[in-house]
Amino acid sequence: MTFLEKAGQAAVVQVEDAGALTIQFWSVLRKLPRVLPIVGSRRRWRSAVQQMLEIGASALPMSGMMSLCTGFILALQSASELRKYGALEFVVALVAIGFTRELGPMITALSVSGRSASAISAEIGTMVVTEEIDALRVMGLDPVEFTLAPKYLAALVTIPCLTILSTLCGVFAGYLFLAFSMDMSLATYFHAVAEAILLRDVAFMLVKSLVFATIIVHVGCLEGLRVRGGPEAVGHATTAAVVKSTFLVIFADLGATAIFYFMGWSATA
Amino acid sequence: MSYGGRRVLDRVDLDVYRGEILVLLGGSGSGKTTLLKNVLGLTKPETGSIMIHGVDITCCSRSELGAVRRHIGVAFQAAALFNSLSVEENVALPLRELTRLADSTIKLMVRLKLLAVGLSDAGSLYPPELSGGMRKRAAVARAMALDPEILIFDEPSAGLDPIVSAELDELILFLKRSFGITILVVTHEMESAFHIADRVAMLYQGRLIAVDGKEQFSGNAHPRIRQFLDRQPDARPRVAAEEFISAYLKGSTK
Repeated sequence: MTFLEKAGQAAVVQVEDAGALTIQFWSVLRKLPRVLPIVGSRRRWRSAVQQMLEIGASALPMSGMMSLCTGFILALQSASELRKYGALEFVVALVAIGFTRELGPMITALSVSGRSASAISAEIGTMVVTEEIDALRVMGLDPVEFTLAPKYLAALVTIPCLTILSTLCGVFAGYLFLAFSMDMSLATYFHAVAEAILLRDVAFMLVKSLVFATIIVHVGCLEGLRVRGGPEAVGHATTAAVVKSTFLVIFADLGATAIFYFMGWSATA
Repeated sequence: MSYGGRRVLDRVDLDVYRGEILVLLGGSGSGKTTLLKNVLGLTKPETGSIMIHGVDITCCSRSELGAVRRHIGVAFQAAALFNSLSVEENVALPLRELTRLADSTIKLMVRLKLLAVGLSDAGSLYPPELSGGMRKRAAVARAMALDPEILIFDEPSAGLDPIVSAELDELILFLKRSFGITILVVTHEMESAFHIADRVAMLYQGRLIAVDGKEQFSGNAHPRIRQFLDRQPDARPRVAAEEFISAYLKGSTK
């Protein structure tokens, strides 16, 4: 096979992936009202709440710790340079803006991707192998509504919440550093944080987290649904789900940040 | 029906009559599972039609397919029970999702189905807590939940010991006698097939090579059927290996 053929084949696979993800996204979106409380089915909502606990509770300690450590590292690294110019107080703005716009959503997405994308693909892949998905279809139940939509709603609710908590942890780590090195009080620190970040930064953070939630759940589900053969295929699907969702999260982050930058929204007040 | 250019089913013409047990036999890769998936509307054949209750499921709408499926219960090979639900909840699932019956009625119906399959004491257990035979019975109870007119069993005896397998055969016969259900059993277990079948059909390389009553079937002279009935191993791989070795040795002596 020539280089050109290989490149063409790889491109076809990517286009197929993109097409499958788009189709799945729309079919899940159409079923989302069925999962909502009051207007939807009570059983689906209950299933979504269970998923929220699984996605949220499992990722909270990990993303919290990762953010604390990263926040401290960011403060340490930036302080070592800013100290030379007597601008140590700019550490506050750097940590606050860095975490709100970038690191909070990204760290949360990566921790959820590692845990939940693999768990989702393993669960759905096992359902395919054990014919549970076929059983749902034969019973006249829609697998999209039954399994995918509750997971998506759960991710749409929990990942932004986790992102907020994660960002708070990272920003708090910045305070810990400045409290030790500059004896800065908590009130002064958070006053400086409030001055540094804008409402649109917070909105941008939440939009990013919703995009990341969409990527993580849909890639996990798609890889699970693609499982063919025996249990070993489930293992391959979980690996593929983590790798693809991590790559796509970073790629989407790049795209979103570039849009933010070129639209001139990244300028501080 | 073909996968990747390989024809899996070819000109299959099969009728299943109301109230009978038809056993579909065939070796591995003969097309049994594909035929089953076609009958259930999970995959579509490239050409031809599949008529169930007067509806061609190969070209009907999704709602028509859904209505047809309401008349069909399926006991899958791997049971396909939902591990997060108890046996009772598994059986109640189609009733809760597809009917507007009161909770008390659903509970009563679930109890009756579990009694029918001999699992009345296991309702509160979860699938991982069940033995292989119990899982299959629970799958039958769930398949019967909506009182289907057609029951389909995919390899009911697979992975079960002879006693449990025989019990399952008795259960299939009991369901036919008591409820008059039309039953299609896909299997390669000869003993079980001849015990429960009214008619036997056999698939070989995607083609239906026989559809007979069990007596006529056991006297069928088709070489593949004889090989299947007499448990004769396929000689082709051995012959191919011998030919290859012989050709290789001839080449090496040159």
